[in-house]
Amino acid sequence: MAEATEQHAGTRRRSGDPWPPVRTGVGAWWRDHLRIARETVHFVSARLGTSLLVWLLVGIALALPAGLYLIERNLSGMTAAWEGRPGLTAYFELGANEQQIRAVVDVLEKDRAVADVSVTSPDQALAEFRRYTDLADALDLLESNPLPASLKATLAPGVETAVLDPLLDRVGSLPGVAEVVLEKTWLERVSDISSVVSRLGVILGLLFGTGALLVTATSVRLAIEARLEELKVLKLIGATERQMRRPFLYFGAFYGLGGGLLAAMLISLCLLIVEAPLSNLLGSYDQELHLAGFDAVFLGGLLTIGALLGVLGALVAARQRINDLEIL
Amino acid sequence: MAQIEFHGVTKRFDSGQEALVNVDVSFAEGSMAFLTGHSGAGKSTFLKLLLCLDQPSRGQILVNGVNVTRMNGRRLAHYRQHLGAVFQDHHLLGHRSVFDNVSLPLRITGMKEKDIARRVRAALSRVGLLEKERLYPRYLSTGEQQRVGIARAVVNRPKILLADEPTGNLDPELSRDIMKLFEQFNQVGTTVIVASHDRDLIESMGLRIIELDQGAVIRDGVNTRLDPPVREDADG
Ligand SMILES: Nc1ncnc2c1ncn2[C@@H]1O[C@H](COP(=O)(O)OP(=O)(O)O)[C@@H](O)[C@H]1O
Ligand SMILES: [Mg+2]
Repeated sequence: MAEATEQHAGTRRRSGDPWPPVRTGVGAWWRDHLRIARETVHFVSARLGTSLLVWLLVGIALALPAGLYLIERNLSGMTAAWEGRPGLTAYFELGANEQQIRAVVDVLEKDRAVADVSVTSPDQALAEFRRYTDLADALDLLESNPLPASLKATLAPGVETAVLDPLLDRVGSLPGVAEVVLEKTWLERVSDISSVVSRLGVILGLLFGTGALLVTATSVRLAIEARLEELKVLKLIGATERQMRRPFLYFGAFYGLGGGLLAAMLISLCLLIVEAPLSNLLGSYDQELHLAGFDAVFLGGLLTIGALLGVLGALVAARQRINDLEIL
Repeated sequence: MAQIEFHGVTKRFDSGQEALVNVDVSFAEGSMAFLTGHSGAGKSTFLKLLLCLDQPSRGQILVNGVNVTRMNGRRLAHYRQHLGAVFQDHHLLGHRSVFDNVSLPLRITGMKEKDIARRVRAALSRVGLLEKERLYPRYLSTGEQQRVGIARAVVNRPKILLADEPTGNLDPELSRDIMKLFEQFNQVGTTVIVASHDRDLIESMGLRIIELDQGAVIRDGVNTRLDPPVREDADG
């Protein structure tokens, strides 16, 4: 066969390519895309019920991991915001005197793990108590101030709470100190939860991303079956494989984009529902409800990922079906 | 040099069935020929191989001096854009109008709408269906549907026009009209190959006839009377 081709190569060179592509000038590529985009919209809107179902399926598949991503981001945002605040609080005995308090402050200020120390005197504590509670009148009945002095030490950034144990022991054994409390439990819990959520998000993201891909692949597969006759004709009249695949990639992108949009709607619906109880919860920890991450970048990412998954699913479906197309 | 050359072409399917056996034929540019033979003789396989919808098991097919049997991708697509093909079950798309069906080969080349309209109307007027361009195929008679299929095959002005049993469903009168139509396209320089088992019809045309039997060429020549088996030299 090779010889024969070579044998005629001279002829070919003289006359050029015997079957040059039909040249229709610049804009041909755009016209083809425009035509297919139009036909896609037409095809999808003609099967609105099916399309909506696909969007919903893809949307749910995308909403779960995306929602977890948001939760994870906000949890880690919370721990980051609290980073300057963890510290230890020492409560003094009721009769503790100035010197005893000074001695504790000295010990803490010399320690490199401690960034800042502030003392709350019994009077200040009482004033604060009056400000925050309705029990102030009850306090007036008491002869003396029942509140002890206390101090709060803020830890230097990056200090591991584990290395503080010796310091805690030492401060706790100083005269006049009633109790030393390390405020770490909440934080550790939040950071544990956030790393669990983040891993869960990755796993669910993979699982549900695959699900979204399969849903679009299946829907595109159905669309291909519905247009099999057309594909045969297209192949016969000399459409390139790329051209034959193109409408289905548009379907995939369309399904994926719609899915991304639906996912965004599902997430914002969830946010609306949990907003009130969540802000109550956070309020009790002195945190304001400020949801990070549900922004234009997040939405853009969601739509992009949706479209990409859709196109990928369509590629998978179209490749195998178009390749083994039987004509005649 | 002939435009189309089959050199020792054999097609054996996985089932072991041999649809073509060592076929050597050639077609000059601008010629017209009929392929005939009983059902299962290998006529469709012949055209399928020429359209590169399947590959021969052995041998080669040269078109304009190029072996087309191992082409793929874009090159194959461009090759097909220079061919026209008509079938018995015409493969018209039911959800597209006559105009849209005929315009399809032009659309995939990205031609401008204005040029498409001009070419489609020219093709439709050649087959006498200009006034039906807005209709859907199901509202046309079988003969008209076949003519729409022919218009689609010629709309991109192919150098080679292939037809597989184009008159299969038609009564003799209409069949004759269709064959005359192919002859007209041949007269303006298109190479035309028509597969048909309708002996009476093709014999009456007075053109070259290639007869296949169990995949082998048993007759090739300009002949109006096929009944006596004569030995033949295949010079076209
Ligand atoms: N895809 C296929 N697989 C196996 N056998 C086939 C296939 N296509 C055609 N054949 C066989 O090849 C022979 C020639 O078929 P075909 O070319 O369609 O004949 P014709 O068009 O002359 O009726 C027949 O025996 C048919 O059964
Ligand atoms: Mg046949």
